[in-house]
Amino acid sequence: MSAHASALNGRPVAWPAALSTAMVTLALLAGCATPPAPIVTRDRVILLPQADDSPSAVEVIAGGQRLLLDRPFASAELRNGSLAATQSDAETVRKTYGTLLAQQPARPRSFMVQFEANGSRLAPSAAPVITAMRDALAALPAAEVVITGHTDRVGSIEANDRLSLVRAETVREILVAAGLARAGITVVGRGEREPVVPTADEVAEARNRRVEIKIR
Amino acid sequence: MINRPSIVPALLVFCWLPPATAQAQTAATPVIASAAETPAGLVKRSAGTVTLLRAGLSQTAQAGVAVRTGDTLRTGPDGAVGITLSDDTLLTAGPNSELVITAYAYNPTTQEGNLLASLWRGTLSMVTGLIGKKAPEQVKVRTRTVVLGVRGTEFIVDAGEGTK
Repeated sequence: MSAHASALNGRPVAWPAALSTAMVTLALLAGCATPPAPIVTRDRVILLPQADDSPSAVEVIAGGQRLLLDRPFASAELRNGSLAATQSDAETVRKTYGTLLAQQPARPRSFMVQFEANGSRLAPSAAPVITAMRDALAALPAAEVVITGHTDRVGSIEANDRLSLVRAETVREILVAAGLARAGITVVGRGEREPVVPTADEVAEARNRRVEIKIR
Repeated sequence: MINRPSIVPALLVFCWLPPATAQAQTAATPVIASAAETPAGLVKRSAGTVTLLRAGLSQTAQAGVAVRTGDTLRTGPDGAVGITLSDDTLLTAGPNSELVITAYAYNPTTQEGNLLASLWRGTLSMVTGLIGKKAPEQVKVRTRTVVLGVRGTEFIVDAGEGTK
C-alpha cells in the first residue's frame, strides 16, 4: 500500500513497479477472497507397469510442453497450466483408482489350433485346447470370440487372405456345431502377415498354418 | 424488412446442403444398438449408473451393449464402465466420468486403424490394443488440457472435475 501511495505522490519512474506490485497484491487478494477455492483442472497421467513388464511409455503434451513417462508409476500433473513430473506407486494407485480399475475388462486370451496337413480338419491336438477355451469363455461377461486364420507364405497375398478366412470359418463352424452362438463369433483372415516362424516368401511352414481363437 | 432479400439466398444455400447430412443422421440414428455396421466395441463390465448417449438418445450401458464411434459414456458418482474395443483396447471409465469415442477405425485383416478417446471429466484407465502395437502414433487420448501420445501401454488419466 505504501508503494502505491508513493507512486501517486508524483514519481512517474516508479509507476511500472508500483503497478505490478498492486496487480500482484490484487491478484493475491482476489485469490484469498473467493470463498471456496475455484475448481482447477488438475489433470494427471500415471503410467502403469505392463502386464508382462515390457517397457512402455506415454508422452503427455499440454500447451507447448511435453513430458515423457517411461518408468512404472511415473506421473505427470498439470498444475496451473504447467506440466510437472511426479511419481506415484502401486499402493496410491490402488487406493485412488480402485473403483476404476475394478471394472477393467478381462484381457483377451488366445488359444491356438493347428490343422491336419492339406486339410480343413483340425489336428487331434486341438480338442483339449477347445475345451480349455470354452471353460474360459464361460467365465466372461458379454463374451466375444474372434477367430483369426493364418497361412504360410506359399501363394499370393490375396490367395492367402482368402485361405486364412476359410480356415477361420472352418473353425467357426466347428465351434457352432459344438454349441457356441454364431452371433458371438467374428472371423478374420490375416493371410500370411503374421507368421509365428518367419520365412522367405513361398516357403511351406506347417506351424504358420494355424488358427487363433481369441476370447475377450 | 430491408435485409430480407439478402437473407433469402443465404437460407437457400443453407437449405440446399443439409439433405445429405439429414439422411446420414437418419441412417445413423435408429434405435440404439440395432445398426448393421460393426460396432467399435462392447461394454464388458458396468457398475452403478452408466449411460450411453448416441445422437440425442440415451440408454443404460450394461454388459453386452455395443459402443460405436461418436458415442458418449457417462458414469454417475457410483458408476464405472469397462469397454473392450475390436482391436483389444481396454477402456475403463471411473465414477463421475464422461468419455467419448471421438474417432475409431480398425481393419482386423491389416490391424491398421486409429483411435481418439476424449475424457471430458473423471478418470480413464487404458490398455492399448493392436492398433497401438502396430502404429502407436494412431492412438491418442485427450482431456480438455492434455493430449497423450501412447507407446504400447497401460496408464490412468485423471481429468478431475473437468471444469476450467
